[in-house]
Amino acid sequence: MHAALFGQLTIDGLLVGGVYALSALGLNVIFGVMRIVNLAHGEFVIGAALLAAVLFERLHASVLVVLPLAFVLAFGLGALIQRAFLRRLPTDLASAEATSLLMTFGLSYFFVGAWLAFFSGNFRSVPYLTGAWTLGPFSIAQARLLAFVASGIVAALLAMLLRYTALGRAIRATSQNLQGALACGVDVERVRTLSFALGTAIAAASGCLLILIFTVNPETGANVTLASFAVIALGGLGNYAGTLVGAAVIGLAISFTGYFATAQVAQAAPYVLFILVLLLRPAGLLGKSGA
Amino acid sequence: MSGRALVISIIVVAVLAAVPPFLNGYARSLLYITVLYVALAYAWNVISGYAGYLSFGQVTFFGLGAYTTAIAVIRAHLPWWEGALLGGLVSAALAVPLGYLMLRLRGAFFALGMLGMAQTLQVVANSWQLTGGGSGLFLPPGSNALPVYYWTLVIGLLGFATTLFIDRSAFGLRLQALREDEQVASTLGVHVTTTKVWAFVISAIMPGLLGGGYAWYLTYVEPVSAFATRIDLQAVAMTILGGIGTLWGPLIGGVLMSQVSEILAAQYPQAYLMIFGGLVVVLLVLLPRGIAPAISAALERRRARAAQVQR
Repeated sequence: MHAALFGQLTIDGLLVGGVYALSALGLNVIFGVMRIVNLAHGEFVIGAALLAAVLFERLHASVLVVLPLAFVLAFGLGALIQRAFLRRLPTDLASAEATSLLMTFGLSYFFVGAWLAFFSGNFRSVPYLTGAWTLGPFSIAQARLLAFVASGIVAALLAMLLRYTALGRAIRATSQNLQGALACGVDVERVRTLSFALGTAIAAASGCLLILIFTVNPETGANVTLASFAVIALGGLGNYAGTLVGAAVIGLAISFTGYFATAQVAQAAPYVLFILVLLLRPAGLLGKSGA
Repeated sequence: MSGRALVISIIVVAVLAAVPPFLNGYARSLLYITVLYVALAYAWNVISGYAGYLSFGQVTFFGLGAYTTAIAVIRAHLPWWEGALLGGLVSAALAVPLGYLMLRLRGAFFALGMLGMAQTLQVVANSWQLTGGGSGLFLPPGSNALPVYYWTLVIGLLGFATTLFIDRSAFGLRLQALREDEQVASTLGVHVTTTKVWAFVISAIMPGLLGGGYAWYLTYVEPVSAFATRIDLQAVAMTILGGIGTLWGPLIGGVLMSQVSEILAAQYPQAYLMIFGGLVVVLLVLLPRGIAPAISAALERRRARAAQVQR
């Protein structure tokens, strides 16, 4: 392979990886606090992506304007879902994990249907910033760079929230030790609601950026869930630094298989990688047990 | 099963076997779809209900059976039912190594692992020449509805019988023990891995056989419908409605829901997905154990009252 091509695919892959990192961070926040893998995550990503595409088509609204709007809407939707349904999951059944998986599985299809009803099944994209900068032998697509940078900013804001605010401390405390958090007077119910809302909102934010790079329709959500889950499985569940490494790996896998095979095969690449890693290193690439 | 339940079951089966030749095409297809989904729900219930390993990708084996049958009929000129048997065999043959690998994963890892398996096979079917790529494979047209219906009915009955066996046998107890706590089960002498893999193979053979019939019924196979994960959604919703991990659950839920599904799926796919997805969510809150346990509890109460009156 030419060094230039290799470099180009690496750049493209890492830029895509940034968006997947953001989506996976949302999934990870929810998992950390609630021990729930939200199978409807991809549907929230895709819902926001389609909203951004429609608003761009109709009103020429920039994704950067839609992003905060989608963030707020998804935050409210997430809080509602947690309050109305997830909080009421039966606790007397054998496995709380199983019931939460079943419920988010049901939610995911509910939203596939809802998005089909709202947005139709058409594939959509946002032709925004379609140019590219040339940097030596490489070209850097402006849309990809914007998506990467914006993802980084949202992720940095999330990190600051987790690190410096009272809510962030409560989220971290609940993730680390539920009993301890309860003993210290953390309102765990409230933290759960806010975490689910926050995770959903981050999913929506990443959706507004993903649409800059990919073409999506309501039925592509499962692929996003799988890719985001693959990212945190590679990096280790609950491990935020690992998420970044996992996202880089997944981004590269998508970029390289997309070039050498087809875009469709590239959709399956994160999954194949995720299975291989789980089977060879069940604790994820960077340790910390997950499986 | 009590004597009365046995008599009722025999009558129901006799009706299901005798009636179809006299039905019109539409009623027959409704009946076929009902029996098909009940059978699929029984298959799902073994690995996910009794063994507690939620699989959101058992459709992997359904699609595999469908494609195996189509290829066997087109390339090897086998009769369709031999192709479908082969589909069951291929599914079982894949399920053994896949089970050994995947059942090492738990919870979300296994659930998403199976979902991804279905997606990956869909990609393979879409890009491989043998499977006809995106346009799929076409089988010789003909009136295949009746034989496929009986084929499906027999597999559904086998699914029921297998579940009856699991519900009453030491094997079933071992499955339920490992569902509650694998380590404890293993300490008590349960061969955890072997037991799980057996359950997984049972849950794979049935969709393989059913998918074979489905291919012959439709006279074509294509990647999107053969590996449609919504098939799993429907089996999951039906089983939860009826009662997950119970003998009668898949039957009750399947009979109640399949009529709705058949009418909606074709005309209003968005409403179909919202109803089945929403049903799963609402049921888990309102009726997490499903209808079957509620019915058996009511029967139990009536029996207790009757015993009291006699005394």
